[in-house]
Parts: sequence; C-alpha cells; structure tokens
Amino acid sequence: MNYAMALDYQNCINCQACEVACKQENGVQLGAEKQRIWVGIVEGVVFGRPFINTYPSQCNHCIDAPCVTVCPTRASHYTKGGVVQVNPRQCILCKACLEACPYDARFIDDTRVAIDKCTFCDHRTAETGTTACQATCPTKVRTFGDLDDENSDIVKLLKTRRFFFQKEFSKTLPKLFYILPEDEGFARQSVAHNTTVYTWEDIKPVYEQAGKKRSKEWRR
Amino acid sequence: MRIEISRRRFLQKSVALMVLGSTPFAGVKLLADTKNPGKVAMSRQVPTLCEMCVNKCAAIAHVRDGIVKKLEPNPLFPKSRNMLCARGTAGIHALYDPDRLKYPLLRVGKRGDGRYRKVTWEEAYAYINDKLTRILDEEQDNRSCIGYCAGEGLAEHTFKTFMYDKFGSSNFLNHSTICLQTAVSGFALTIGNYGLADLENARYVIMAGANRAEAIITPDTMDLFKRTRGRGAKLVVIDPRYTSTAMHADTYLAIKPGTDLAFVLALTYVAMHGQLYNTAYVENNFQDFEKYRTHILDSQYTPEWAEKITGIPAASICKIAREFMAAAPQAIYYQGRRTAWAKNDFQLRRAMALFTAMGGGVDVIGGIVFGSRLPLGEHPANAPLYANARQRIDKDAAAVIGATGSWVAWRDMVAEGRTPYPIRGMFVYKQNPMLSVPDSTKTREMFEKMDLVVVIDTMPSDTAMLADVILPECTYLEREDPVQSFAGIEPAIALRRKVVEPMYETRPAIDIMRGLAQTLSKPLWEITRKYDEDVQEEIEANSEEEAYSDGGFDLVEPFIHSQEEINRDMVVSKHGEDAWRLLREKGVYYPGMASLFKKIDNNTYQCYPRNKKIYSVLEKEGPDDQGSDAQRSCPTCDPCMNPADFTPWKRTFATPSRKIECYLGSMETKGIDPMPKWKDEYNIRVPAGKFTFITGRHAQFTQTATQNNVMLLDLMRENYVWINDREAQDRGIALGDLVEIESSVGTVRIKAFPTPKILPQIIFYIHGFGSTSEAMTLAHRNGASDNQIIEGTIEPVFGSAVMHETLVTVRKVRA
Repeated sequence: MNYAMALDYQNCINCQACEVACKQENGVQLGAEKQRIWVGIVEGVVFGRPFINTYPSQCNHCIDAPCVTVCPTRASHYTKGGVVQVNPRQCILCKACLEACPYDARFIDDTRVAIDKCTFCDHRTAETGTTACQATCPTKVRTFGDLDDENSDIVKLLKTRRFFFQKEFSKTLPKLFYILPEDEGFARQSVAHNTTVYTWEDIKPVYEQAGKKRSKEWRR
Repeated sequence: MRIEISRRRFLQKSVALMVLGSTPFAGVKLLADTKNPGKVAMSRQVPTLCEMCVNKCAAIAHVRDGIVKKLEPNPLFPKSRNMLCARGTAGIHALYDPDRLKYPLLRVGKRGDGRYRKVTWEEAYAYINDKLTRILDEEQDNRSCIGYCAGEGLAEHTFKTFMYDKFGSSNFLNHSTICLQTAVSGFALTIGNYGLADLENARYVIMAGANRAEAIITPDTMDLFKRTRGRGAKLVVIDPRYTSTAMHADTYLAIKPGTDLAFVLALTYVAMHGQLYNTAYVENNFQDFEKYRTHILDSQYTPEWAEKITGIPAASICKIAREFMAAAPQAIYYQGRRTAWAKNDFQLRRAMALFTAMGGGVDVIGGIVFGSRLPLGEHPANAPLYANARQRIDKDAAAVIGATGSWVAWRDMVAEGRTPYPIRGMFVYKQNPMLSVPDSTKTREMFEKMDLVVVIDTMPSDTAMLADVILPECTYLEREDPVQSFAGIEPAIALRRKVVEPMYETRPAIDIMRGLAQTLSKPLWEITRKYDEDVQEEIEANSEEEAYSDGGFDLVEPFIHSQEEINRDMVVSKHGEDAWRLLREKGVYYPGMASLFKKIDNNTYQCYPRNKKIYSVLEKEGPDDQGSDAQRSCPTCDPCMNPADFTPWKRTFATPSRKIECYLGSMETKGIDPMPKWKDEYNIRVPAGKFTFITGRHAQFTQTATQNNVMLLDLMRENYVWINDREAQDRGIALGDLVEIESSVGTVRIKAFPTPKILPQIIFYIHGFGSTSEAMTLAHRNGASDNQIIEGTIEPVFGSAVMHETLVTVRKVRA
C-alpha cells in the first residue's frame, strides 16, 4: 500500500472548509498558526490585472522523508501505506524535523508538547475511504487513495491527467499530486515555467520501486 | 472503574447519559477519542440539516458519549452535493459555545448595560404577560402595537404563526428588505419566479456582484467551480473588487458601484441592435417586447454610453453581449441574492432577467430553471380576527410594501415617533438588527422607545443586550425543526433532526411559543373581550367558549403537538409511512431514492440520473407537427429529444400576462418606471477625498450569527478595510494601520488592508464583525460593523435598504 493524495487545485475557492474539518476530525490545537493542512495563496498583479492562485496543501508524506531520517528518537516514523507520523511520547521537541521538512508541514502542538502533523486521517480512511478534508470539500479538490491499487480513485484520476509536484528539487518523492489544469492560460498562470510535468506512465515505476524499497519500514 | 454497558442498556439510559455527557466544554483541545480502543464507544450517527447559514446542507452528526464530535456531509441530499463548508463543520462550536444564552434572563440594569438576572421560564413568561396585558389594555387591543422580526430559518414560520396568525400583529419584519427582496421580486415580476441557475449545464455565466466562491449557495457554488477554467462554463465576473470568484473568471471587469444597470442596458442594446437574441423565443414568450426594444434603442444605451458610467470598456461590453447570445440559451446573467446595492436595484434585476430571457435561457437546461417541489402536508392554524388590530405602520413607505414591510422605513418611523399609532414593544427571533440593519444608532433609538423588548436567540447578541426579557433557544443540533421540501432540478425533502438534548435550560422555538401561548392566551382574551365589538357580538350571539375556541383565540392550538408529530403528519399524509421512516433514518427523502441514489466514487454521488432531472416545467405549446402531448408537459424526460428543439416553444409563465413581462403597467400606476431605465440621478459623483463604502460576505462567517465561533475565529480574527493600494500609499496608510472611517451616521475604527484588488475611491469591509456585546467574549470588538456607518436609505419600490450608496472619509489614526 502506498497512500497518496491528488489535488485538482484549480477547483479551490479558498473557503477553508478543509482546515476546519481537519481540526475537528483530529482534535488539532486551536490557533491560526496550528494547522495540519492549509490553503497556500499566491497573489499579485500582472500588467495591472490582479490574480490569485490557491494551492491547498498539507504533509506530502514523502517516500524519502527527511523529517524521518533526521529524527534522533524515531518519533517521526512511517506507518502502513507510507504515512509519516509522529509519536508524541517519543518527541523531544528538538525541532530538527521542522527544519528538515521542505513543505513547512509541521508545527508544535503545545497541548501534546510534541510535533504535530497530517496523518492522512489514518483512523478513518479504512472505513470511509476519504480523509476529513476530502469528504467535506465543496468543490472536491482532493482525491485520496492507494497508488498500488489500479482501481483506486487516485490512480484512475492520475491515469487521465498530467500532474506536478511542489518543490520537487528537494528530491523527497512527495505524494501530493497536483493536477495540471487543462486550461493553458490558467496552467501558465499557476505553474512555474521550470516545473516538470508528469504522466502516470512516467511516475509509476519510480514511485513503485521507491515504495517497494521502503515497504518494510512502512509495515514496521 | 470502567463499567461495560451493552448497547441495549445504553439506549435505555440514553437521556440521562446525554445530559451528563453534554455539560462540559472541553477547553481548547477538541480530541476525537481515537485512543482507548478498549472502551465501549457509545456512538451514534444522526442525520440533520445545518443552520450555520441559510443553505440548509445535509449533515451527519457523529455523537460519541453524548458529545457531538464531528459533522460530516450527507451525500443523499442533492442540494448540498456531499459537502460541508467551514461554517458547517464548525457548527459544533455553536452548540458548545461558552457564551451561549443558557437561561431565561430578565433585565435588571439600564437598557444596554448588560445586567441581567437568571429567572425561570415561568417567571419570564409571567413578566411578558404582565407587560403585554398592560400595553394592550392601554392600546385597546390594537395588536399591531407590538412589532416582531425574525431571521431566516426553518422555525421562522413557527414564530410567525404565533405572532401573526395567533397574536395578530401586522407589523412583521424579516430579512427580505435588508436582503434579496429586490432580486427575488425583480425576477418574479418579470419571468414569474426567481428561479434557479442551472450552473451544472450553463455554458456562459455573467456574475455581477454575486460572489459564489465566498458567499456559498448550494448547489450553485459546487456546480460552477468544477466547470470554470475551460471546463464548459465561461465565467464573466463584474465587481468593484477582485474576489475569490473573480480568480476563477475568464473575464474579470471592475465596475463602479451602483452602475450595473447601465452595464445590462448596454448589453441589451448590443443584443437588440445586432438582432443577436433568440427571435423565436422572444416572439413566442415576450409581452410588450417591441415597446422595450424601442425604448432601449431610442434611449441610445450604447456600449460607449455605458463605458462612461460604469468604467467598463465599450469593446468588452460588445464582446460579452455577443458571446452570451452565442452561448444562449445555456447562458445566464446570474440572479444573485444579497441586498439592494443602489436605488435602481429593482430595475437592475428586471433588466438582468430580460437579458437572460432574450437568449431563451429561461425554463431550459443550462439556463434559469424553476425546478419542482415535492408536496408536504399542511399544518394550518385557526387565525382569529381582531377588529382593533390596525394595518402596518410602514404601508406607504414604498410603492409595494408586502407582509414583511421595510425594515429601515419601519425602524425610522418608530425611532422618530412618526407612527400612526404607538409601537410599544418588539419580539425579536433569531435576528440581530443592531448589526444587520443600516444605521445602528437609529436602531438603538428605536429599541429605547419601546416598553417591552423580548429577544429569542442562542447568543447574547448586540440586540439581545437591549432586551427586557431574553429567552434562550437551543441550537439547531438540539432540536427537530419543521420538515422542508426543497425545490430544484433534483427536488428532495430534508429533515433537521435533534442530535442531542437541549443543554442548560434552552428550548426549541415551538416549545417557547407553546409556553408563551399557554401563559398569554386567557389574559389576552380578556382584553379582546373588553375592546373588540365583533367579539362581543359573537359572544352574545353564541357563547364565550365558542367565540374563544372557534374564533381561534385559543393561542395554544397550533402548538399542541410536538414538532416530530407535526412533521410525521406532513410527510405521511403525502408520501406514506415508508417515506417517513426513510426520512428519519437518512435525513433525506425523494421518491425512488433507494434505487436512484448511487455512489460513483469517493467524491461523486448520483441522486437523480440525468433523464430524471427536472429542467423544464412550464406548460409548452410547440408547432402542431412536433412532439407528443407527453413531451410538451415534460420534454426533458424524453432522452431522444434535443433540448434545442423545444427551447423556443411558447410557454405559460407565472406572470399576469402568462408571458415574460417587459412592461409593468401595474408599477407605472405606482410611480415606478414600467421598464428598466437609466436616470441621471443614478450617477453618483464621489467628491475628491471621499469614498463609496461597499460591503459583502465571505465563506468563513455568516452575517453576524457566527462571529463568536472559536473555530471560525481561527480562520479570521477580525475584518480589515480594503483600500486601493495607491490611494493608501498617498495617505501613508500601510497594512494593519488603524484607520477611522466616518459617514453621516457613524464612525468606526478598523485596520487597513491596502490592495490592488479594489478600485480607487471605494472602500470595503465584510459584514458581520464589530460586536459591542460584552457577553460575546470571543467576538467583542473584533473589527468593525458595517451598519454602524451605512446610511439608512431605501429604494422606492419595496423599501429595501440601499447598502452601497454611503459616502465616507478615511483618516489614519495610528500605525
């Protein structure tokens, strides 16, 4: 099993339903800075015309996750399906993972006195098939699923669309698949010119191999 | 010690456990109990309907140990399309809000100083009874001396049944005239109904002022934004601000506030001048089109003319008109909701309806459709006649004053002492006029003139702080509300079921009304007997008992049964027992649901298959050689028939002429322009140094009702004032600086947000902040209230509040 998420980010209306659903589902600490997931916003003006791009985001559950490697106490670890988790009882708040994470996906939970982060809602996906953020989303930006399952919603979607990753230069094999918009104008507006765009054929062997290599760790 | 409880035993004791389980507020940590797997979880899932805004999306409440832990979308409800927005999910914190109204309260201090005494329900009712009988005695049974207002909601009608049908006052106010009265009536008087926009199939949508990404309307929001950006629906956004809706637009154009009418008239001109409209549809379905055409062309509403007024380039206007008509009839000038913006708002909505209709986009797939509604049984009340109850005070405030009056005009008359008879008191249900009606200072003056103010609410709002008596209603998760049938392309009935027992001493509206009725019925009858000559005659002719009960003076009668019993009767009488069982179990019912509803994938569900969706409902008359009788009554049911084939057919619209009305003769007699027309007075010149103030909504809060919600405050702590970045720079205003905004009616202080996303000479901040109620500990003085500075002006047709014509000055206070 290799859990991942695809994001059809062009649907996003920045309503932040996902943020609230995440907090409610997972009992995330209150406070604007305490977020397991968020809607990233880039806005500006080009030739006098304003624009806004939204990139809903969360932990990428990278296959080569630097937060796991850097952790001195193994508090950061993999669980089934390659989900990156933090065991709060082992966390000593050294904050090395905060520095190591290319996506700024971690924060300090003052109530657990430990690092907190997205868990891909692992307590519910077996039952519902969806994370809280996916289930609640009005415009259905997110699709969660198993990359190893040819019949999962996510693989079906990735087979029909092209996609890219955020901060791919970190070489961590991230698992948030951003779906490339079909509209050329919007794609040009929201995807950096040097971004690599993939198809499922391109990426499948790479992720499959990397996943296989790690699968023992994922089951530990 | 842990006690194992079997499921059955739990059910027996559920009431006691729920009371125990529901008292504590879990502090700031909201842990879903995923640990403790050994513990026997007492979890339930209860379908309900959200009340965090007006959409009423279907939700499933997950209850564990008597505490609501999570609200999830209920995919069965076609209207809400398997989603719950930020507010919907945060509904739990309306239930567990630490500042909730918990007990009936009586004022002990001066009005507005917030000092109250906890009393029992009986004491509260007795106090109201005492005051009310004295007032009615003095007013000789003129029931209309007590005004009342209600916010939108499923139980609004329960309150109105008591105040209007039973108590008998004509002075009712609701959200209409501070909301969508002009839009609804503009469309209804033109095409017969406000209608629904079929955004699942529209190919071209003009959204002017409407902001569906931030002001979420279901299913419009979900349907539209899955189809923008080259996926079937071209979107044109016209707004003085660059909104989250504008970021999805193919074309975004900034417009000067209050000039939308000129824009639509110019679009109409282009379509008429070039004969781009659907001539067959117009020929068959328009009344007085020739008059309208002559008027538009003779008035020279050219794109060049409109450019000067609106600021939108003439070339863009031409292009939009052409593209719109090319995509028609799957083209919609989106109706929008909201308040009236300018004095010409009614004419604007008429022009919008006529423009859409000229393309043929009314009562067709992808256009404005009317949908269908599943029937429900009735719950009638025997309404008594009071001979001394007088007509509403504001009946002449505008050309057409309906049953919901004109909030601003009514308020002004009371505040300024200009009423034909004294208004002595007010009952407020679920509305917060102190923050929702323009010119708050005047609203306060109105309340201060009254001898009895009763507020029924869940939160100690600014309005509640002016009440003599506060009656705490329970939140929507603690009550069953009247069942509702939702009209649409995919009609359904949905039910708000009680999820947990009411906390503290709160009660649902129906119980409050029952209690009030039981206390008031006989004492008020005595007053009617004393002053009402008709009743006196009736008593002489028959008996007192007969006059009282047959005449409907027994106020308790509509509230005898529980809400659940009433709902059951309303559903079973039309759809049978099985439907009722299904509705209670699933929260949603429509005929054939069990076989039609399908899961397609984790994101997509089908409620109705395409050939069962109801797009075209009006009776049609095609050429004799086309279509069978069955196709005429419901042509979309026939998958073999191309919708384009029957688009231009003659239809029977729900208007007086049975056609689309270009010319409203009935309005002309009331001094209202019979056709949309631009007048010089609509040109508002903003003097140098001044700004037009505009207001709006966003997706994280609903009006003023959710401002104390701890979860939503995480998303936005306070509102900021938008000001054009260049103008801000000239004035030395930077992000976060405190500025003072002053209009002729008030002054506020608020932090600045300089941005290129707004036109110069306009400032904006969102509605719903700036509570001054100290009892709202989380919302108290967050940002500023828009209605503190908006002037109380009304438009001439319905007396709707005009929200975008206030001129203000901006001054930097400190960095």
